[in-house]
Amino acid sequence: MKKFKVFFNIEKEEQWLNKQLEKGYRCTHVSSLGIYTFEKTDKSYVLRLDYQERLTGEKLEEYKGVYEDFGWCYIKSTPLNGVRYWQKENDHRNEIFSDRESKANYYKRLMQYSFWLGTMCLTFAFLLYSDTELYHESIWRMEGSLFWKAFIFETPFALLKLTPLLLVGLFSSSYYTAYKQHRALKET
Amino acid sequence: MKHKLLPLSETMHYILLALREPLHGYAVMQKTEEMSSGTVILAAGTLYGAIENMSKHDWIEPVGHSGRRKIYMITAEGRRILKVEQDRLLHILSLYEGSESNEKV
Repeated sequence: MKKFKVFFNIEKEEQWLNKQLEKGYRCTHVSSLGIYTFEKTDKSYVLRLDYQERLTGEKLEEYKGVYEDFGWCYIKSTPLNGVRYWQKENDHRNEIFSDRESKANYYKRLMQYSFWLGTMCLTFAFLLYSDTELYHESIWRMEGSLFWKAFIFETPFALLKLTPLLLVGLFSSSYYTAYKQHRALKET
Repeated sequence: MKHKLLPLSETMHYILLALREPLHGYAVMQKTEEMSSGTVILAAGTLYGAIENMSKHDWIEPVGHSGRRKIYMITAEGRRILKVEQDRLLHILSLYEGSESNEKV
């Protein structure tokens, strides 16, 4: 079974994945385009998401080795970003973090990630908007039905041009979510 | 100024104590569980992060391999940190005893 879904919040993604597993599935592959592959299973599984950037070669093997010793299976994913998917059979040890510090550090990594992507989108938006108007200038000089036809025709393109800004908004909100979680763990 | 990892978290404390003998990651978890009578059970991500962090500060270092697993052990700097923590905790313990005798008076 394949499902398509796009997430901008890693915790919502984790919740959604676990909801699928509760229905008697096991995740076998995650593609960065948002295609999740599942297969039916009799056993009960749990999935946890970690965020680790820039892990390659020996470092990645060591990272995987530690998790695998604890019974976690690495789900193959197209690592466009640093989200790591870990799955294991449901038992009494289902967490990947056992203290506040490490959980807080996890949220810190998520903050850095959202911040970086948000900044990229913002830069891109500035470049895009500095030399193009949202609508062609000539359309404002048109009258009556001609104006409306041109306006309706151009609106989808205008919306498309707004996409980077929309993404800035989404990444800002996921930054803020991670920040709140991080602060809550640091305070008490 | 005080090192940013001090005072040691319970997790780091147990890991440093466990690594007075050479162990790989999973064995550190087992040793910690045993030393804490089952009250401190390290999870994979927490252990991985702590090992990374303490290696970065040269408190522990890899001393070999067992299969694909890396074996770590405490360094001289790590032992110095343990000593600092021991003194701090002994002092706090002495305060506990002190206040108790005050109550009796």
